[in-house]
Amino acid sequence: MDSENSIVALEDVVIGYETESPLVSIPNLEIFPGEIVAIAGPSGIGKSTLLATIAGLIRPISGSIKVCGAEIPSKPLRGSLGYIPQKLGLVRHASVRHNVMLGARAGTNDRKERKDRVTDAIQQMGLKEKSREPIRRLSGGQQRRVATARTLAQRPSIILADEFLSELDEETLAMVLESVTSYVRDNNSALIVVEHDISRAKSMANRLLVIDDGRLNPFITKPKAVVLNS
Amino acid sequence: MKKIAVDGEKMALVLWILLLLAIVILNGMVGDWGRLAGGPDNLVRFFFQSLWPPDMSVLEPQTYPVCTAQPIFDFTCSTAWKGVIETLKIAFVATVFGMVLTLPLSIMASRNLSPRWISYPTRFLISACRSLPALIWAIFLVILVGLGPLAGVLAMTIYTVGYLGKLQYESIEGLTKTPLDAANAIGLSRWEVAVNVVIPEAANDLISHSIFMFEYNFRSGTVIGIVGAGGIGYYIDLYLRFLQYDKVFAYLIIIYMVVLIIDFISIYARSFFTEEEYLNAPLWRDVLIPSWIN
Repeated sequence: MDSENSIVALEDVVIGYETESPLVSIPNLEIFPGEIVAIAGPSGIGKSTLLATIAGLIRPISGSIKVCGAEIPSKPLRGSLGYIPQKLGLVRHASVRHNVMLGARAGTNDRKERKDRVTDAIQQMGLKEKSREPIRRLSGGQQRRVATARTLAQRPSIILADEFLSELDEETLAMVLESVTSYVRDNNSALIVVEHDISRAKSMANRLLVIDDGRLNPFITKPKAVVLNS
Repeated sequence: MKKIAVDGEKMALVLWILLLLAIVILNGMVGDWGRLAGGPDNLVRFFFQSLWPPDMSVLEPQTYPVCTAQPIFDFTCSTAWKGVIETLKIAFVATVFGMVLTLPLSIMASRNLSPRWISYPTRFLISACRSLPALIWAIFLVILVGLGPLAGVLAMTIYTVGYLGKLQYESIEGLTKTPLDAANAIGLSRWEVAVNVVIPEAANDLISHSIFMFEYNFRSGTVIGIVGAGGIGYYIDLYLRFLQYDKVFAYLIIIYMVVLIIDFISIYARSFFTEEEYLNAPLWRDVLIPSWIN
């Protein structure tokens, strides 16, 4: 595929919090419309940091990151990047509707369109009955659905999701996964998901990348007995 | 800057060192402890000769202007009642004005929301409002706008901005980072983040601090009256000048009772905004907007 069509492009990127101790180096990574890319690796290896760096929240130690053609983090991207952090980033004291509205607000300036998007996303995530409840009164699984609804209401070109399927029961997990993947498929969007469950990562993704020994590599079955790579 | 991890033992050691240091400094300031020997006796003599019993006639209606209230409510024509009500009014107005002014300032002063070139000058402004006590502001404002409650309101509003501003920007800076990160990542503007994320997330602290500020303003409102800025302090100053300490003592008892009542109300109000009560606390929207509009 032509690299000009990529939604996310990383070139010679080194990420981490301190220059002296880089976490991951990524020589080249391009993600194209319609792709679902899963990133796996042991905990603490830098998966969430990589996602936060692509989201523009952490400056890379070196290299260039482009999201939808805009250099990150110098250029703000209004609405084209959806982000579900591991801790979800919900406003705990506000209602479900308020939180989903944040996504819609980033996605469009049209007030009516925002309301419609919020109603649709809440309904899609099965939260209609809870729409006026404050987040603090919801279970962990319900909160994950709210964070997903926020992203669906935003309708971004790229979704960055950090373990957004944990704490969900099988039925809800299937529903949430189907909603997000069909959104990506139908809108020619892309999804980068950090997933610790390697079998789930394999089943949902078009491409699986593993962080191993400080490098982001394509998933290759190795005889070496590292659990994630075996 | 790296954050230092604090464990219990180190914390206890630091506290002991600070306590020892404070005692050494106090000892240096007092010098001769022997001169304090007669203090308790003097206090007892002053209390029984000048203060006790308190002269509760301050609750009786004034002879002029003529009291038109029902006999059962004639205390509302007393200087104590008028003073307390005026002080409460000054405290209320100053707290509300202070809150309104503080909200944008505290957002501008928070380092997690505003760039340094905005946050530092705003902090200097907030510090400047706090650096002078309300009493000194009242003196300046009496010169500026004349005697009366307006000077009191302005003085306490300025002080409220200084005090509440600091409490609020520290609360905002203490917010969990992830909601801000999520909002920034999806591209919301600073203003949208402040209004839709920061204020709802920090609302409990902001309201709790404002209730505390109202209490504080009532208490300091009793002092600013002394410089002619209205309220019960005016009457306290008047009786102090005539050495009528028993009446001053009656006023102090009344102030104490009112402070206790405000304290009980604010404890009740603030109970909605503690972590334990979150589950039962109403949504802000439900408190501010009647359910039939919602």
